[in-house]
Order: sequence, then C-alpha cells, then structure tokens
Amino acid sequence: MMTLLREQFPADHFTLLSLVLGLPLLGALCNGLFGKRIGKQGVTLLALAAIGGSFLASLVAFALVATTPSAGEHEGPARLVWNVWRWFSVTGRGGFRAVPIDVAFSVDALSATMALVVTGVGFLIHVYSTGYMAKDPGYHRYFAYLNLFIFAMLVLILGDNMAVLFVGWEGVGLCSYLLIGFWFDDEAKARAGKKAFITNRIGDFGLLVAMAMLLYYAGTLNWGELQQGAPSLGATTQLWPIGRLEQSALPTFLVHWLTPAEPIRATVATLVCLAIFLGCMGKSAQIPLYVWLPDAMAGPTPVSALIHAATMVTAGVYLVARTSFLFALSPAAMTVVTAVGALTALLAACIALAQTDLKKVLAYSTVSQLGFMFIGVGVGAFGAGFFHVVTHAFFKGCLFLCAGSVIHAMHARLHSDEVAQDMRRMGGLRKYMPTTHWTFLVSCLAIAGCPPLAGFWSKDELLWKAFSTRVVGLGVAGAWQPPGWFGRAVFVVGLLAALGTAFYMFRAYFMTFWGDFRGWKVVAGPKHAKHAHLDAPSHAAQPSEADATGPKPHESPAVMTVPLVLLAVGAALAGLLYAEPIHLAPLGALLEPVFAGASGAVQGRGVEPMLGAVMAGGVAVFAVGAGLAAYVYRDGVGQALRSFADQLPGAETVWRRLRIDPLHVFVLGLVAMLAIVGSVVVLSDSPLWILPALLASLLVAWFFATAHKAVPVCERAVADTLDAMGDTAAAFDKWVVDGILARVTAFVIRVVGGGLRLLQTGHVQAYLAAMVVGAASIGWFLLAPHAEARADDAEMRRSGRVVFTAAPGLGYGYRWYADGEKPPKEFDAGASYTLDLDWCQERTVHLDVRNALRREASTEFRYCRSSPIILGCCVPGAPPPKLPTIPKVPQLPRLEPGRYDAGVLQELLSPSRQRAPAPDAGASPSPAGGAP
Amino acid sequence: MIPIPPSLFLLLGAAMFAIGAVGFLVRRNLLVMLMCTELMLNAVNLTLVTFNRMQPSSHGGQIFAFFVIAIAAAEAAVGLAIVLAFFRLRKTVRSDEANTLKH
Repeated sequence: MMTLLREQFPADHFTLLSLVLGLPLLGALCNGLFGKRIGKQGVTLLALAAIGGSFLASLVAFALVATTPSAGEHEGPARLVWNVWRWFSVTGRGGFRAVPIDVAFSVDALSATMALVVTGVGFLIHVYSTGYMAKDPGYHRYFAYLNLFIFAMLVLILGDNMAVLFVGWEGVGLCSYLLIGFWFDDEAKARAGKKAFITNRIGDFGLLVAMAMLLYYAGTLNWGELQQGAPSLGATTQLWPIGRLEQSALPTFLVHWLTPAEPIRATVATLVCLAIFLGCMGKSAQIPLYVWLPDAMAGPTPVSALIHAATMVTAGVYLVARTSFLFALSPAAMTVVTAVGALTALLAACIALAQTDLKKVLAYSTVSQLGFMFIGVGVGAFGAGFFHVVTHAFFKGCLFLCAGSVIHAMHARLHSDEVAQDMRRMGGLRKYMPTTHWTFLVSCLAIAGCPPLAGFWSKDELLWKAFSTRVVGLGVAGAWQPPGWFGRAVFVVGLLAALGTAFYMFRAYFMTFWGDFRGWKVVAGPKHAKHAHLDAPSHAAQPSEADATGPKPHESPAVMTVPLVLLAVGAALAGLLYAEPIHLAPLGALLEPVFAGASGAVQGRGVEPMLGAVMAGGVAVFAVGAGLAAYVYRDGVGQALRSFADQLPGAETVWRRLRIDPLHVFVLGLVAMLAIVGSVVVLSDSPLWILPALLASLLVAWFFATAHKAVPVCERAVADTLDAMGDTAAAFDKWVVDGILARVTAFVIRVVGGGLRLLQTGHVQAYLAAMVVGAASIGWFLLAPHAEARADDAEMRRSGRVVFTAAPGLGYGYRWYADGEKPPKEFDAGASYTLDLDWCQERTVHLDVRNALRREASTEFRYCRSSPIILGCCVPGAPPPKLPTIPKVPQLPRLEPGRYDAGVLQELLSPSRQRAPAPDAGASPSPAGGAP
Repeated sequence: MIPIPPSLFLLLGAAMFAIGAVGFLVRRNLLVMLMCTELMLNAVNLTLVTFNRMQPSSHGGQIFAFFVIAIAAAEAAVGLAIVLAFFRLRKTVRSDEANTLKH
C-alpha cells in the first residue's frame, strides 16, 4: 500500500498536495459562486466533503512523510516537494544571478503535523458550524469563507518558500477579516475586522522586509536552500551610521552627535529574525500587536475557535519553528522572542483574570498561550513550542466550541451578544448542558496543566526547557548571549502566567457551570418553541431582559456536541504524543530531524536532576490556581474572597475610587508578591535573599492596599493634561482642518467650477465652433516655421565649444551664421552647428528656418565664455572688462651667498632705498647673524 | 493642353472645406449638417489626391482617400439613421431640439 502510494507520488513531484490544497479551494469557489443556488444541504455537503477529503489526503501525506527515511546527514529532514510552476524571478545581489521564485509546495514532519491539525480540527469545527450557523441567512457565504481560510492556511503551511508562505499569510489575514466582520451590518463588528486587518498589516511589513533581506543576503527564499545557506547569514552588517554622514549636508555638531564612537553592528541573522518575528507578533497577537485578537471575538464563535484560537494565530509560532535554523544563529533574536512571549503570557493572563465576557476570557487566554508557545520556540525548544500549538488547538478549540454551545443556549432568551456572553448571567449550566459541561471541564483541566492531560505535557515541557537550558547560538563566537539568569526568570514568569491560567480558566468554569442559573427566571412549562438561534445582533436587547423568564437552557444538538467530545478526547490524550518525562514522544522523534539544524543552539545547564521538582512546581501552580478559583467562585460570584478582601486596611476607598473589583486588586497584589519573591530567588542563587524579598513583597502588598491616597492627585493631573490636549486637538481640527483644508478648498473648487460651467451650453454648434477654432490654431501653428534649437554647452567652459541642434519640422531648411560671418545664400538641411569661443569672447549665432511653404523665421543665441581667472567678463549688461595690468616685479639686487647683517638686508629691501640712509643704519654692524 | 497647377486643386479643396465647415456651424437642419460633413470629407479627399499627384512615387494619398470614402459611406448611413430616429422622436430635424440630455 505505502509502496504503491510512494510510486504514485514520488518525493520530488508530490502531487498529493494538489488534493490537500485543491479541495478546500474548490469548495470555497463552489460555495462562494453557487452557494445560493445549490441550497443549504448542498453547501453543507460540499464544505464538509472538501475539508474531509483534504484531511484524508493530509493523513496519507503524513503517513508518507513519517515513513520516508531522512535523506541523509547533509540533506536535512525528509521533505516531499511539489513544484507547480515558475512564478517569477528577481535579480539577486549585485545583479549577477536571477533568483527564481516558484509556486512550490512541500511537506515535512512539521508541516504535515500542522496540516493534520488544521484540517482535522477544521473539519470538526465545520461540522459544529453546520449546527451553530444553521439559521443564518449568510450560510453559504460563511462556508465559502471557512473553506477559503483552510485553503489559505494550507498554502501558508505547505509553501516551499517564503513567498508562497506570504501568499497564504495574507490569505488567512483576509479570511480572518472577512469572518470577523461576518455580520458586517453591525458597525462594531465591521470595525473589529478592520482593526484585525490593519494590525496584521504592521506585522506583514516586517515579513516583507525579512523576505527582501533574505533575497539580498541569502539569494533564495526556499526553505531547503535557506537552511543550507544559513551559516552565511551569521555575517555582521553595519546598522549605524548609514552611508557617509560626515559628507552629508548636516551641520557638523549634528554629525558628531549622531556618529557613535563604535559603529553599531548586528548579524544579518538577527535582523532577518527580528523582521520575521515582527510578522509573527502581528499574526500571533504578541505585545504590542495583540490588541486585535480580543476584538476579533466579534466573529461567529466557531470562527473564533478555528481561526483565532486553533490555527491562524499559531502561524507565527509555526513560522519561527519553520525558520528555526535562522533563529539558531541569533541568540539575540531568540531572547527577544522569549522576552516578548513571556511578557505576553503574563500580561494576557492578568487581563483574563478580570474579564466577565466568556469569549473575552478565552481570547486573552489564547494570547497568553501564544506567549507560552513563543517562550518555547524562543528558548530553542522548537519541538515543545510547536507541540503546544498542537495541544492548544485541541483544548482551546474545544473551549471555544463549548463557549459557543453555551452562548447558543443563552441566546434562547438573551438576544444581545454582550448579555448572552456575560458569565455573570450564566451559572449552574452543568445541570442543563451535561456534555458541554464535561468537555469544558476536560479542556479546562488540560489548559490549566492538570497532570495526565495535554496541556500539562506541552506547557511543562517548554517551561522545563526554559529553566534547564540556555541559548548559545550557532553563530560566530562573541555574539551577544542572554545572561545566565534569563532562562530562570522566564521560567518564573511562565509559572506565574500558568498560575493565572489555572485561576482564570477555573473562574470561568465555575462562573459558567456552577452556582445558580442567573440568566433568566426558569419557569416550568412545555419545551420551548423554536427560537431564533442567531448569534447575529438581529434582535435589539430588550428592556425586559434583566428579569426575563424562560424555559430551561437546553443542550446543543448532536452536530455540535460530537465535535466537542472528539476535541475533548484530543485535549485529554494528545499530550502522550510528546511526553518526554515518561519517554513517550513519537511526535518528538518525528519532529527531531526538522529541528536538528537548530538543536546545537541550546546547551543544558546541568540541572536535569531537578526535573521532578520543576514538574511538581507546575502541578502545584495548577492546584493553587484551580483551588483558589474553586474556593472563590464555586458559589458563582466570588463572595468568599470578596469578604476577605474587604477587610484589608483602606480597602473601601480604593475599591470605590478605582471602581474595580476588590478581588482583582487582591489577585494583582498576590501576583506581584510572587513575582518579587520568585525573581529574587531566581536572580540570586542564595536562599538568604528570601527574607528581604518577603519584606519587599509585603511592602508592595501594602502599597496596593493604600494606593488610594495617591489616586486623586494623579487622577486630576492626568485628566487636566488630557483635557488640554483634547482642547488643542479640537481647535486644530476646527480652524485648520475644517477652516483651511475643507472650506478654502471647497471655495476654490466652487469658483472654478462656476466659471467652467458657463462653457457647457449644450449647443452642439458652439462646441463645434470651439473645435474648429482649435483645429485652425493647430493648423496655423503647424504651417508657421519655428526657429528653435537646443544648445549643448556642457563643453563650453573647457573647450569653448557649443553645439546647436535645430528642432525638426516638415520640409524645413536651415541657415546658420555667427555674427561677423556672411549669411549663406541657401537654406540647407544641416540641422546642427558648432560654435567655438575663446575666453571672454561673446558671440551671437543666428538661425534662419524656412519651411515647405517658403515662410521664414529666425532666432538668435548669444553665448559668452567666462574665464575663471579674469573676473567680471560675461556679466550681462556690464562693460567689457579691462584686462588687468600685471604689476611689475621690483628689481632686487643680487646677493652672493653668505652671512649678512640684518640692517643691511632691511636697507636693501626697503622701498626707500634711494633715499639717504638713516643716520645709524649700517653704521654699526651688529654681531647678530642674518639670514643667508 | 496646359496642365492645371496643383495649387488650384488645393485652393478648391480649401474653399470646399471652408464652405462645409461654415455650413455645419451655422445651419440647424440636421440633414444639411450631414451634407456639410460630406462636403468637408470630399474636400479632404480632393486635397489628398492632389498631394498624391504632386508626389507620384507614393500612393499614400490615394489609398487614404479610398479609406475616407468608405468611412464616409458608413458615417452617412449611421448619421441618416440617427436623423431618422430623431425625427420620429421629436417630429423635427432641427439640431437645437436635441436637448433631452441637457439639464
């Protein structure tokens, strides 16, 4: 079987990918173009068949990749390539080599795994969508976009070079934009789509720059060739100063100020990697470009699950893993990746603590988990980082679909999105929605890091790698390397973020599924009639929603719960694909050759015995976070901890002043305490520091509790500043933008338009008259001779030669003569004339032209050749300069060599030599020696 | 036989063109305007063949004239059809009445 497949699809012409890629594209085209005509059943069938077929083809491709032996030590990992056509070629560095860019696709272990995840999770979410979107009028449009997204994502994954990847990269961005703004008649949702698109464009700019740099420095964009040529990118290049500052027109002090003592240099690999990472920051929602992802939840919930949790947003991680051989060259870039990832993980986890919208919690959780993935790839654990992508696809996809199921139920009575997604209106749903409840719990345990489940293995693996290894890079010796404490600090930040994760996930779980149902008053009655199950804001929030009554919330239909169960199974078991600590890592073994080129960039720190302790720490963090959340939220709204927090000194004032939940302040204080203790322990290897750290953290906690004293002053200062800025901006807008730009422009256009309008009489004959006059003018111009010539005087200063070339015309004859010459009798055809000038000579050249109708015209040119020595000649209107008289050199007496008295010399040289000498001059020769 | 100097042909052509142009501009009858167009086209034809005669080595002028004749025939057919349609619409052939698109 495999042999047959291998013969059918050879490694260098792997046309199976046409099936993987083509089916979703075909589905998108059919659904997009004919979706209305083929009906809902047809659309469903087409969309599901396309993705299902693509999944099966990916499965075959995966099997083929997994069983293909690695091509050898130097050839890199097994890679099956399908080169479709030559796209274009660009001129390489120095213009001596054309760099071909092909539309080519390839699959190796990394991309095969990713393609499996995308098509597999994508298929489940498609199935789910058929239930979730069943009543939507844009059903076919939705599935066309969804199929198109899968296609674009597969192009991104399977592209054999960066240019093809970029096409997919932009394609998924487009589909994301289309699907976020799927209900575009809601202004806020359309704006969220735009925000996502524009934010992503900032990152895409970085990717474009990276491609340009790779083309320039490496001369290729192909993954395989890049990997082979990667070491050449370790060369350094000068960043600043650019060009030759000292020769520029800038003032000298500025040049001095701008020029550092040492030119700033960086390796090419660092620049390329940072540019690539800018792209990843946009796509994968890292600080500071994460702002679009929470807003992207405006799209339908399955879209949030597929695009904004499971697949598209992980493209950045995939790209870093794909270019691991580049990142391995640059410890600096990897440090940036790690730092950004760690900060994002922590910040987003903190934000998620305070969200009340269920989808927003999951959105910030996604941002946070993406930060974890970047920690993984940033510390060189490319396999672990990528594995977190896979497990995250399962549990976050499942969580989002559960959220969708809950929202679906809430929509039965609460038609406004804000209300239907508000966890404060949920609660107690585990009684009504058992399947959703259990699947949510499993994924919740998985993401929080409960030991046997997927998230535990992937998250702890990458945190362990951050703790136990350090990045040294493959580049030249002496390259910048992160300090030794960096990995430990990242580990602590990661643990804190994991603590936050466990807390906010279980907060969401308990608020949604435990306690009493707070959505509406459940009244017993017949099973509810058909409600409009639209996620769309088609129904305005009704004023009576606050105290609405309704039937029991209902479990979702089977098409929605079956994908939930499958994803939950994945979330539970996927960890066993890469469970390094128990030596069960089939996926790791598969991915190992892909990252073999980069594996030399990390070194162990020799702390392997601590593996057990670190894992225990991870489990402890999970237990603390989940336990705390259970303690606070099991009754639904956090009464227990709130009453505790209310007793802190000064608490009331702070809470009222800041208008925030006391709970959040308390949790923030807790996080800050842990952060200080943890970082001090990590930075110093001595346990003695724990005592001062505890004191410091108590101080911080006290500060949090008493911060209210500083609040009013800061508040007023900030408010006044903002007011002043706002007033300035408003005045500028009123007078400059509205006044000058808008009014003046409008006035000018109105006046000009009023004048031009008079010409439009509507009389054909008037137009014709204008036409005739115009035609006659052109005729007159053509018939009249024109004596014009171009003078080339570039040589005049050097050789005194000026060459004239007369303008051509119909039947023209020319006659040239300079002043002083006799004009020739005949007009001949010589259109050019050469004039030679001496210094300070001024001459006039006459040109007569006669055309075919024997009419004549003439012109003249006056040229003067100025001299660099004799100033003042050739100034227009000035009288001809007098040649200066050269002053006579005075006759000096010739002296024989020897020693002379100074007085004698003075006398010899003085102009009054003829006069009688001074009484004492020369009379008393002094002994002082004179010049010879 | 005394050969007629080509300048006379050119003068005749220029005069015909001027008559046609002025007639086109001052008359309001669409049929007359069409006829003036024909007059101008034929004046151009006359000028073209005269130039060709002044330079017998090339045939550009004559060939051009044939093209003009062919185009003129087509233009007359289309123009007359437009005039006819216009007459059916407005019961007149005065060009000033063709103001449906005005304002």
